[in-house]
Amino acid sequence: MARNMTLLWGSGSPPCWRVMIALEEKKLQGYNSRLLSFDKQEHKSQEVFSINPRGQVPSFKHGDIIVNESYAACFYLESQFKSQGTKLIPDSPEEVALMYQRMFEGLTFYDKLTAVIFYEYYVPEGERLDSALKRHKDALTIELKLWEGYLHNRDSGSNLAGKSFTLADVVIFPTVATLFRFGLSEKRYPKLGEYYALLRKRPSIKASWPPHWLENTKGQDTLKDV
Amino acid sequence: MAKDITLMWGAGSPPCWRVMIALEEKNLQGYKSKQLSFEKGEHKLKEVTDINPRGQLPAFKHGNIVLNESYGACLYLEDQFKSQGNKLIPDNKAESALMYQRMFEGLTLFQKIAQSLFYTRFVPENERHDSAVKRNRDDLKTEVKLWEGYLQGTGPYLAGKNFSLADVIVFPVIAFLFRFGLNEEHYPKLAAYHNTVKDRPSIKNTWPPNWKDTPGQDALKDL
Repeated sequence: MARNMTLLWGSGSPPCWRVMIALEEKKLQGYNSRLLSFDKQEHKSQEVFSINPRGQVPSFKHGDIIVNESYAACFYLESQFKSQGTKLIPDSPEEVALMYQRMFEGLTFYDKLTAVIFYEYYVPEGERLDSALKRHKDALTIELKLWEGYLHNRDSGSNLAGKSFTLADVVIFPTVATLFRFGLSEKRYPKLGEYYALLRKRPSIKASWPPHWLENTKGQDTLKDV
Repeated sequence: MAKDITLMWGAGSPPCWRVMIALEEKNLQGYKSKQLSFEKGEHKLKEVTDINPRGQLPAFKHGNIVLNESYGACLYLEDQFKSQGNKLIPDNKAESALMYQRMFEGLTLFQKIAQSLFYTRFVPENERHDSAVKRNRDDLKTEVKLWEGYLQGTGPYLAGKNFSLADVIVFPVIAFLFRFGLNEEHYPKLAAYHNTVKDRPSIKNTWPPNWKDTPGQDALKDL
């Protein structure tokens, strides 16, 4: 099963990481894992374009089936491998609704983050403005307070949608980890800090930790004042 | 069942429209439907923020359950009402994979539209650049061409033979393109999809009220 799967990915990319966590949780280790270098522009290689017309990673194939959107791949894996590994979609309507609610708010969360940390990637030099970056940082602060509040309302040690680890954690943990990699203050966001500290020990997350974060444990400090 | 459901929505908003289509497809007509005006700022009223702290529409409740993200609400409705109305997630593995793929690409399509058509809404005056406007428009054109290509390869629906969640989610976005003047001659496959699917009952019944009596705009006629 896993042998028929191929994932093209880049280190430190939250969308790629989501799919890797899902593959681990569904006990699909053994898939063909192709690490590509963003620095060498390998995500724009023919190998990627042959699977993904958008020239983006993650690019994921299972036999003849291609699913390149990270959320889509996660849903696909849970639905096709429901009976193996961790159950990632809860049964109770309340929990599943909260899971969906957080998963899709997670898109906004990720957008607010990348608007800051990838500002120079998205915005050509001639268009960059300090006022714009400040505006994005302020928006990220508002978003962070919302998530800190979501975690504050749960017992310590809980996951995003309740007691169980779900797809909400699969898709959002990489965003949270990236926040701390880029210098988010655990003092200002203690609940997010607790969530991060707890989940980073989970086997699927340890197994898929970005390799270059292991080589160089010091991240950046872009977000220290956010 | 339907009477335990409340939806607050605004006319012409694709995220709101998606949930309305899903409710129709699952035979949940009879839900409490509250139309609010974006222009009057009603999406920021307490009755909305009580359900959705983000002050956004759609705001959706089923009994005590709250789900304000349109994709989330659509997936939830299919899950919880699987055995009634139309099946929105195909059984066939390849079709369901394509459905998920197109659903989530739908986010990118909507984003490119917003970045181009609503540039002045999102970007304060002192940060605007003509180069960005041009770039956003080029990006939108590239994106729309991609979708035209997708419909050349598959049909009549986005995931293949059956109407699915991909259509529930993405049809409103494609309809938005034509509302803003997308040229049917430049994009015949998208036009054919739009013209076929718009007659589906769930879509006719939920067509944005403000679109029925007024002409659209032509910002995209030369795309």
